[in-house]
Amino acid sequence: MLIPRPSPAQRGHSTLDPWLQAASRVLHLTATALAGAMSVSTYNRATREVVQKQIYFTAWQILPGFAAFVALLSVVIIQIVGETARDFGLYAYALEIVIRVLVLEILPLTTALFVALRSGAAINTEVALMKIHNELEALELSGVDPVKFELIPRVVGGTISVLALTAVSIVISLVLAHLLIVDFRPWSLPPGDFTRVIGKVFDIPSMLILWCKTLAFGLAVTVIPIAAGLVTPKRLSYAPIAVLRGMVRLFFALMLVEIGALAIAYVR
Amino acid sequence: MSVSPKPEPAPELRPSTNRLLLLAGNVERKRLIAAHPEAVLVSARLPLRANLTVLENIAVVPQFRRGMRVAEAERHALDLLERVGCADCAYRRDPDLDHEQRFLAKLLRAIVLEPTIILIDRPGRLLPDTFYPRFLKTTLAALNGRYEQCWIVDYKWNAPLYLPPGSGTSA
Repeated sequence: MLIPRPSPAQRGHSTLDPWLQAASRVLHLTATALAGAMSVSTYNRATREVVQKQIYFTAWQILPGFAAFVALLSVVIIQIVGETARDFGLYAYALEIVIRVLVLEILPLTTALFVALRSGAAINTEVALMKIHNELEALELSGVDPVKFELIPRVVGGTISVLALTAVSIVISLVLAHLLIVDFRPWSLPPGDFTRVIGKVFDIPSMLILWCKTLAFGLAVTVIPIAAGLVTPKRLSYAPIAVLRGMVRLFFALMLVEIGALAIAYVR
Repeated sequence: MSVSPKPEPAPELRPSTNRLLLLAGNVERKRLIAAHPEAVLVSARLPLRANLTVLENIAVVPQFRRGMRVAEAERHALDLLERVGCADCAYRRDPDLDHEQRFLAKLLRAIVLEPTIILIDRPGRLLPDTFYPRFLKTTLAALNGRYEQCWIVDYKWNAPLYLPPGSGTSA
């Protein structure tokens, strides 16, 4: 006879508990990382080198491929928006729609997802394996603080990378928007209007929301994988589970940040 | 019982002292380690950072602890690796090392921390394919003067391994 396993509620905790605990760990780690990132004592020669490596692997190494991808995505979306706007006789608004949809919403989220899939997954796996193999404890016993040496530099480097890649993607898409909407169809929008539309869309509240959102994306793609890796039980079989959990939480966190930013930007 | 390495200290450094501690079992071993928190362990359960080379594993300690410049820390680490004849493994990572090289990297990582005691925990686990008493003696002799004290913690049933050649079962 099969003995039924007790449900989480019967065991004394709800199914929400792991999520709440994970959220509390992420918030705690975010606070630690922010405090550490702003503290001068964090930055010695060893940690600066880790930050540089993180930026190199997260941003510099992928820059050509990422730029090509952003250019392709931008061309497709600008064309779709332009053609649709023309069909409805709203071509004069095409540029503003492109900037609002592509530059303010799609590109920051796409950049965060790109970095999350590439570097977030790698960070999650690495931290989980470091935990499983006792490397963090070994570092600590060697007089090297693992939080300062391994974790905070990854958060700093990863966040800078997301901010930088987002800025690059915005520049690329704006150049392409100018080319496709203004230069190729000069009858539709004079160059002076391009500047005016940019000034209108990129007002101070929008810029604040954009960069706060991007900062939150940058923190999420590093802190959540690290937090998921740090709680991995010391068994190799748990490594895939740690990565899976970290990535799922990261996806939901990115979406929540995006929804929150949209709500703040458009429901005010 | 103590292992005496060849006394060849560097002129500017005090000679190091080595002790062999043969214990009755795991409980005693754990008690000894707990009683000496100042000792830095060289242990099978404390691995190298897999994503760093041997040189980086050693050099990161003075960089982090004393703010030493990268080049200077690496030169110091390389000097130590040359002393123990392991300079060729400087740019290898943990999975590419054999047991002896991994042990030497761990020992040098402990030495650069400059603790009062370095505790080599169960050398048989660290050097499973090596006749380790002789290897330890040679290694510690090469590093004489670079550390204060080194304690080798082993079990009593391995005592015959430490007997001088020709006096028992040791090779």
